[in-house]
Amino acid sequence: MIPMLKNQKVRNTVQQVLFVGGLAGLVLCGILIARKNLAAQGMTAGFDFLWKSTGWDVNFSLLPASANDPYWWFFLIGILNTLFLGTTGLVLATVFGTIVGLARTSKNELANLLGRTYVDIFRNIPIILQLFFWFAIITHLPAPRAARGVAGFVLSSRGFYLPIPNVAAPAFVAAAFALIAAIALPIWLGRTSQLQRPFGERGTIQLAATAVALALAVVILLVGHASGTPFLDIPALQGLNLRGGLRVSPEFTALSIAMAIYGGSYIGEIVRGGFLSVGKGQVEAANALGLSGWQIFSLIRLPLAMRAMLPILTNQYVWLIKATTLGIAVGFTDFFMIVALAINHAGQTIESIGILMGGFLAINLSLAAIFNRINKAIALKGNQLRGQE
Amino acid sequence: MTVPGPAAPALQIVGLNKYYGPLHVLRDVNLTVRRGEKIVVCGPSGSGKSTMIRCINRLEEHSSGTIIVLGTELNDDVGNIDEIRREVGMVFQHFNLFPHMTVLENCALAPMLVRKVPQAEAEAAARRYLEKVRIPEQAMKYPGQLSGGQQQRVAIARALCMRPEIMLFDEPTSALDPEMISEVLDVMVTLASEGMTMICVTHEMNFARRVADRILFMDRGEIVEEAVPDTFFTAAKNERTRQFLSQILKH
Amino acid sequence: MTVIALRPPAPSLAADWKRRFFATPLQAVVSLLCLAVMVTVVWTILDWALLTAVFDPSRGAQACLTPGAGACWSVIAARWRIILFGLYPYDEQWRSALACLTVVAITVLSCIPAFWTARRLPLVWVAGTGLFYLLLKGGILGLPYEGEEVWGGLVLTLFIFVSTCLIGFPLAIGLALLRRSELPWISKTTGIIIDGVRSLPLISILFTFAIVLPFALPQSLIGDKLYRVILGSALFFSAYQAEIVRGGLQGVPRGQEEASMALGISYWQRVSRIMLPQAMRNALPATINQFVITFKETSLVVIVGFFEILASGNAAYGTGEWRFAYVEVYVFIALIYFVFVFSLSRYGAFLERRMAVGAR
Ligand SMILES: Nc1ncnc2c1ncn2[C@@H]1O[C@H](COP(=O)(O)OP(=O)(O)OP(=O)(O)O)[C@@H](O)[C@H]1O
Ligand SMILES: [Mg+2]
Repeated sequence: MIPMLKNQKVRNTVQQVLFVGGLAGLVLCGILIARKNLAAQGMTAGFDFLWKSTGWDVNFSLLPASANDPYWWFFLIGILNTLFLGTTGLVLATVFGTIVGLARTSKNELANLLGRTYVDIFRNIPIILQLFFWFAIITHLPAPRAARGVAGFVLSSRGFYLPIPNVAAPAFVAAAFALIAAIALPIWLGRTSQLQRPFGERGTIQLAATAVALALAVVILLVGHASGTPFLDIPALQGLNLRGGLRVSPEFTALSIAMAIYGGSYIGEIVRGGFLSVGKGQVEAANALGLSGWQIFSLIRLPLAMRAMLPILTNQYVWLIKATTLGIAVGFTDFFMIVALAINHAGQTIESIGILMGGFLAINLSLAAIFNRINKAIALKGNQLRGQE
Repeated sequence: MTVPGPAAPALQIVGLNKYYGPLHVLRDVNLTVRRGEKIVVCGPSGSGKSTMIRCINRLEEHSSGTIIVLGTELNDDVGNIDEIRREVGMVFQHFNLFPHMTVLENCALAPMLVRKVPQAEAEAAARRYLEKVRIPEQAMKYPGQLSGGQQQRVAIARALCMRPEIMLFDEPTSALDPEMISEVLDVMVTLASEGMTMICVTHEMNFARRVADRILFMDRGEIVEEAVPDTFFTAAKNERTRQFLSQILKH
Repeated sequence: MTVIALRPPAPSLAADWKRRFFATPLQAVVSLLCLAVMVTVVWTILDWALLTAVFDPSRGAQACLTPGAGACWSVIAARWRIILFGLYPYDEQWRSALACLTVVAITVLSCIPAFWTARRLPLVWVAGTGLFYLLLKGGILGLPYEGEEVWGGLVLTLFIFVSTCLIGFPLAIGLALLRRSELPWISKTTGIIIDGVRSLPLISILFTFAIVLPFALPQSLIGDKLYRVILGSALFFSAYQAEIVRGGLQGVPRGQEEASMALGISYWQRVSRIMLPQAMRNALPATINQFVITFKETSLVVIVGFFEILASGNAAYGTGEWRFAYVEVYVFIALIYFVFVFSLSRYGAFLERRMAVGAR
């Protein structure tokens, strides 16, 4: 045995078998012990519980939910909630981050100082502390009856009220798609017709596409408008509470604010890094060609900076989606909180944890896949570029 | 198969083949090197010179054939590999000095770790070898503070500190500025005159003429010519060798 | 000889300002807007935090509730002990304070280049953490025994952070080496573990280790929840740090490993003497950044029910008369985090700049 181990091939095989086998053994032991422990508590393993009704309710859901619904439905709701909160936080954080990043790269020293202060403060305080802070602030706001609003937007201890159009849900979704198209179409057109048409003409086409998509959104909203009601449903005081409009719960509001501000400080630095990575040479060349300030920004600096920051931005977005698990700290029923509740109530620990891991793996992989596609699509072609420090 | 002890030749390669995936980079190479013999290997880029000498100390694993170094066969036996690496020194094209250690530490490290020589002794030996490569005054500097020629001489001293029986050189001067080449070659000539067994991949033909016992010419993974220097330069049998020589000696 | 000034005459202050802030109408608007924001924010904070603030705890909570009163710092003066030390017995809190100082000492020592050797750094951390543990736990040298259940506040946060790093760092190096292994099964399995952990949110890992793991462990191995959570957090840290170390290893030229192999140096000595010292140098800025992130994320253990600084902060204002003073408490905790995190990340940025200069 010992002389055999002096042989490199044998040694390599033995090492690999020991390593993989040892790990597999550990996991197997864990599972077996867990089964035994759970059986002692009178629980059966397996995924049957997914079809049992939960007997408890969630406080936030985009789909109809009640205590009679089965577990799998609740898990689905959880994933949707996570995606919804994640997307909201991601979009807000991007807006914040872009503003901060632009301020940080602007020539204006005051704007620069403001941006730097923002980043230094909010990046260096844990997000959960910021979340607690905003949540405490919101829940200590005046009650709805005492709260004052501006143009139908009301912040109160019961959450954030805002006006929404009196429009049927399907029409609302359709309008949202039209809005997305209004943003996506010009980008897509800009790519496909890039080389064939002169700049001016391309711009006109893009503008026209956006206008058409926007008009479509308005038409859809007008058509979907429930007749006999005012177009906008504005929250108004009725008795002790606000009626009408859309109520965003304090949990969701606090989470969105925290993700937007904290994420914004990171994204701000990414945006700044992206713009700094654009070589001076490119901007000087554009200047020498006589492009205007706005043209240099939109045609040279922005596209190049976007390419530089997208890979890092992807990581940040994945991080933000994972940060939705903070929901459990304030009681927002995101995917993780629903899994935790399911473990508490149904006791199917291993299965639930498996579902949790699978869910996050799927979310992360799809997010990474989407961004890799975008990344590849916009990557500079060829490897013959020189002097791009 | 193995002839033990000092009677064995320094190196015996029989039927050596090496593949990188589908790429056949060494084709049936045979070579025997006596103790104290100096071999120079040359040939066009990509012909497999580096691959061959890197097989000798298992920096690359050969696909088939036998390599016997100082009577020890190079096979999957870990003990054999360790033993051969102890007895075979190597000098690289890009020096590969350890940048985070001083010159002295670079030289003393391997004897201390591998041969378990006490620190004081290892450092004394290191200083002696640095003297031999004519840079004793640089002992406390870091590699980054030396010129290319000085770094390569440190690399030679570092290999010598292990007191190897055989020294392998893989294009030791081709990364150097012209004015530094001779200082490295001088050291190698001295080494040769002291009876070291040397296998050098190099295109320095004057050096080859002066020290080589035999010159090998490799092309497309094969040794196509093998001759003593006089014959090699004046009466090469192979057409490719003559072409290569005319190119390299043109300047 | 007279020195003739060749500099152009300094532009007048007004011209300089005009160039810097009012070059174009747009610039002017931006400048004024920023100025307005700054003045408002600074003034509001100054007014609230200093001018109208109540500092004297002897006046009680009532003083803060008078109209026009600003920040109620008296809550901190009255409750700082619970925020910093949790429920640790009053008479023994000097031990907690000393333990906090130990962590500061570890951090400061780790930032001094003279300690960046393979022997000194682990020594500092092991000795520091050991001292920390003994101080808190007691039971020897005449110090009364205090169980983990009374540890709390800042001290608990620091303990979790320090032990996470102490366990996570060697683990990270191990994982990085395994992932770089030439043996395909080992590198692939390790890759799956690392990527798997990285794709999960930290909270789910903490939750698993705190609440789920006991089911899957034999009775004798379950241990205290605190140590399980530390293990989970160390695993999470090591998955990220392993990729940083691996990046550092990839930055070491291939020739370094070949040269040491040609010299006959064995695998472990190659790794510890040649590869890791160079890799860690490459990976230093990213490593410090990871420490910063980990320190911030330590705060998440509040979710699995530990009485660390966030929970003790909630307790500080949550009961009795200080119910209204949550902003002050959060600001205080934020300041503690800020001082630690900001200085560490500044130090990281400084190192990065210095290394960029050195690499030229
Ligand atoms: N790690 C590798 N993987 C795949 N192919 C390789 C590898 N190393 C070398 N090769 C190929 O093997 C062949 C021989 O390479 P080798 O480095 O031995 O040539 P050489 O004679 O030393 O050339 P040079 O004079 O340029 O150093 C080349 O075609 C090279 O492309
Ligand atoms: Mg070569």
